[in-house]
Amino acid sequence: MRAMYRLDSIRKCYGSIVALDIDELTLGEGRLYTLTGPNGAGKSTLLNLLAFLSPPTSGEIFYSGKRVDWNHGSMEEHRRKVTLLHQSPYLFEGTVYDNVAFGLKARGIQGEAQRRRVDKALDGVGLQGFRDRKARELSGGEAQRVAMARALALEPEVLLLDEPLANIDRETTGSLETVIASLPARGTTVVLITHDPDQPDRLNGESILLEGGRVAIPHPPVRR
Amino acid sequence: MDFLVSSFASALRLIGSFSPDVVDAVGTSLAVSAGATVFAALFGIPLGLLVGLSDFPLKRLVVTVLNTLMAVPTVVVGLVVYGFLSRQGPLGVLGLLFTPTAMVIGGVLLAAPIVANYSLASVRGADPRIVPTALTLGAGRFLAVGTLIGEIRFGILAAVIAGFGRVVSEVGVAMMLGGNIRGYTRTMTTAIALETSKGEFAFAMALGIVLMTVALLVNLFLNLLQKR
Repeated sequence: MRAMYRLDSIRKCYGSIVALDIDELTLGEGRLYTLTGPNGAGKSTLLNLLAFLSPPTSGEIFYSGKRVDWNHGSMEEHRRKVTLLHQSPYLFEGTVYDNVAFGLKARGIQGEAQRRRVDKALDGVGLQGFRDRKARELSGGEAQRVAMARALALEPEVLLLDEPLANIDRETTGSLETVIASLPARGTTVVLITHDPDQPDRLNGESILLEGGRVAIPHPPVRR
Repeated sequence: MDFLVSSFASALRLIGSFSPDVVDAVGTSLAVSAGATVFAALFGIPLGLLVGLSDFPLKRLVVTVLNTLMAVPTVVVGLVVYGFLSRQGPLGVLGLLFTPTAMVIGGVLLAAPIVANYSLASVRGADPRIVPTALTLGAGRFLAVGTLIGEIRFGILAAVIAGFGRVVSEVGVAMMLGGNIRGYTRTMTTAIALETSKGEFAFAMALGIVLMTVALLVNLFLNLLQKR
């Protein structure tokens, strides 16, 4: 297994509170991991670290075998390979197209290539015909799917999902789970936070349990 | 009551006849206020964004100073700038006292803290997910901040309009630094003060009506933009 991430003696503290304390954790390339645990276990903190949004208080993270340097230039470079989707994603003002194209524009992808990837991503989440709709006028489930399309359009190496299916209906959940489960086959590493006890099985992923900021049960070998 | 009604009618006639004194005062007011607002926005918006988006040791002190500067009486600003621009002052050689430029300088000092504070409030009130979302989608720092500004643009616009409102409606700076020179530095507010003291109530009322109309139009413009 080629390691996408290797976390070595990672601690993340907020003042005197230790939010995360992981001796070692390796996440393989093209694998799907579900992150479970009670509230306050450090799941979102771990996802923010993996998304390179904030540096650890101590310890090292290796991405694709290289030690992560937490300076701005390096962080920006890493963030372009990794995308994080929050439980209640923020959609920018403008159309669905503007939102899905946001990250592509940030990467300098313009014109026909941009339109093709936006359309493909919207098709993938079942939102054909939504590209000119105003993002702020969508329902919660539609907004969640637009956010998912926005992430998928970037074709990231790693997709981090913070309870992406928590507030949406069963039918949409099913279709998005299918999309998510198909990503590892394309080489995308997926890490997903969930409180749904059946979701790890449905997604055929490896489960990581966090408790009090520590990995309580090391994830088992890959079943796929 | 008759006095008020007849003054109001005379005021409307003065406005309708485009009295040169009214036109001059309105023109000077708008030009000075617009100039001061542009410079105040150039200083105030980046300052508000910088304070709002960054953490530094004396941040609370800076915010307190900015809040205090909003409440500085206009005559105090006029006094300080007068000290610098008067003949004996360090900038007296420039000969700016009693010119529209001096009024613009005073106006910038009045409006910039308001623009900065309102911009800061807009940043603080912005959805905390905007910048992280932009960053996770691969935006650099500048694009992420640019996206934030785009999302809070109405708050920024309101900051600029509040700054304009502060300058266009004040008397102290315009009187002390402009000198109320007819046809040159006389503004709506200084003219109202002067004409009222001379007993020319109708003329003062005409300018008051124009001033209120300007305030109304500016706010209508803001509302229109927000609806779009």
